[in-house]
Amino acid sequence: MDLILQQSINAISLGGIYAMLALGLAIVFSIVGLINFAHGDIMTFGGYGIFLALVFGMPPAVALAIGIGAAVVMALALERTAFRAMRGADVVTLLITSFAVSEILKVVFQNTISARPVPISFPAEWSGTYQVGGATIGVVPTVSIIVAFASLAGLTWVLKRTATGMAMRAAAEDLEMLKLLGVRANRVVAVAFAISGLLAGIAAVIWTAQRGSVDPMMGFFPVLKAFIATVLGGLGSLSGAVLGGFVIGILEVLTQAFLPDTLSPYRDAIVLALVIAVLLWRPDGLLPGKTGNRS
Amino acid sequence: MIFRKFLLTTTSALVVAGAANAEEYLIGVMSAQSGYLAPYDGPAYAGFQFCVDQKNANGGLNGTHMVRTIVKDTRSDIAEGVKVVQEMLDDGAQFIVSSADADPTIAAAQITLADGIPTMTFAGTAPVLTQVGEHVFGSYPADNQQGAVLAAYARDQGFENVYLVKSPDSAYTLGGPEYFGEAFEALGGNIVGTSNYSLNQPDFSAIVTTIKAAEPTPDVIVTWAWEPDFPAFIKAVRGAGLDTQVMGGDVLDTPTVRGLGEVVGGVVHTSGGFPDEGSAYAQFIADFTEANGTAPDNNYYVNGCDIVNMIEQALAAAGSTEPAAVVAAMAEIENGQGIMSNFTFKGTDRMPLREVVVARITGDGQKEFVKRTMADPATLPQP
Repeated sequence: MDLILQQSINAISLGGIYAMLALGLAIVFSIVGLINFAHGDIMTFGGYGIFLALVFGMPPAVALAIGIGAAVVMALALERTAFRAMRGADVVTLLITSFAVSEILKVVFQNTISARPVPISFPAEWSGTYQVGGATIGVVPTVSIIVAFASLAGLTWVLKRTATGMAMRAAAEDLEMLKLLGVRANRVVAVAFAISGLLAGIAAVIWTAQRGSVDPMMGFFPVLKAFIATVLGGLGSLSGAVLGGFVIGILEVLTQAFLPDTLSPYRDAIVLALVIAVLLWRPDGLLPGKTGNRS
Repeated sequence: MIFRKFLLTTTSALVVAGAANAEEYLIGVMSAQSGYLAPYDGPAYAGFQFCVDQKNANGGLNGTHMVRTIVKDTRSDIAEGVKVVQEMLDDGAQFIVSSADADPTIAAAQITLADGIPTMTFAGTAPVLTQVGEHVFGSYPADNQQGAVLAAYARDQGFENVYLVKSPDSAYTLGGPEYFGEAFEALGGNIVGTSNYSLNQPDFSAIVTTIKAAEPTPDVIVTWAWEPDFPAFIKAVRGAGLDTQVMGGDVLDTPTVRGLGEVVGGVVHTSGGFPDEGSAYAQFIADFTEANGTAPDNNYYVNGCDIVNMIEQALAAAGSTEPAAVVAAMAEIENGQGIMSNFTFKGTDRMPLREVVVARITGDGQKEFVKRTMADPATLPQP
């Protein structure tokens, strides 16, 4: 029972990070049709922000805030310099653009900071544990779960209760119509990128707290999983992205925990096979968006 | 005065003439400048080139062979590595120094096999890498040597039960823990469980939970995980409240791992050397630091330099630069002179028999010496 409880917490914790990243991808995709593979590099940039802040002697809490801020600034900078000029281009062109931006950022990271991972050392008490029944629960996974759900709840509130959020939802339906109605589309898109950067920054904080280092490839693998999650959930669907993130995280942890040794090397293949099976059953994803287009 | 001038002029002319007559030895170097091998190839190449420059300043290898290097970036990509090795051979490379891992070295060695060009890995330690052919050599103490020494140390500490964490994605991450386990069992210890992970695995919490549930409780956890997987793993271990002793291979001997702070305090790992005061290794660090302004922060620098020493001694013994002669001479070196440690290829499968150091990471990011010993060839786990 304790084992199941702990593995469940592990699964929700990992799923929460995937969900945040997937949501960041989905927000941008739903509004401008861009699958932003540089999203992982925005996360990496946030990680480097934390590292540099610590190197310059900032207190850990301030360093985390700087890391999140760095990710938001990077997301806005990319929107302004790389993606705004491409707005309206077809999905494939946008996809290639985001790949190119991602590669450029990786090269910049490895040449200006280091090709090697750099350590991030948070206070030891941040890695503490506490007991629930017979289970030992880590502080970082707990914070990860709380922050993930709080972020998702906050974003839901923004999207449903604020004018900007409603404009973003409207933009997701029809950006051209939004412009005709006199809404400043650039501002709406910029806010979407800022929110996506904020989610990437929060993911960077949790990721670096769990992994203890940053390297140029840090964001690549999680954003790949997040991309799979958005497809599984339904491209263009915010709630689908969240669901997809949790499903991927849970599948990964369960297969890691319960597959026999002989099958464990095939874990990623098994997870992807399950995703394909779901997509064969529901080609548009688990919770497809109204305007979702699968490429 | 006139005599002194004549002497200086004559000597300079002889030196210049000697350098001009010196035979050039062309060495191709695979050096990953990005990706997962960069933390190891980068330092190894820096140490290698530093010693090549030193040798060239003194007339080349053995004073007779000026070294010219062709250095190409592989980006830690095996396909790219194969391509650059072929390019270097086309340019006339007479010796190939390959990336610091078994898999790219095996791929490179298949290209160099046709002409029997001697091929030596920067710091690959999986003993299987020499099985490609007689022309392939290791340079660092092999995983089975490291595993045997570490297992003996673990048993000396009274540890009876070990949990192995390995990845089938590379020969290094798979083989190291398995050699440890084999040696540990041969010494009377038990393997209580194993877990497989994937390179760049995002999360280790599920594995750690499984370790916590293992029966009997392990006294020690052993992994050959490298960066960034090891930092993630050790954070998950300590974050789950496990204070079990963790041990690992030579890849933990890096500033990144030591920089993780208290979470890595007490971790024990193997290594290829230790810069004892007054040693040739300590002198190497001083010389390198003076020349480059940065201090070597891991063993791969000095091992890169020792590769130059290995090549020099093989050329001297061969009396020729013919690939077959160099290969045969290298394989017969016994107690060759190295800076990190001496090395013996004779009687081995071309993975050099060298001293293995056991070191412990302290909570303040330092490394402390524990022991230095040579594995017993008769009891080595076989690949």
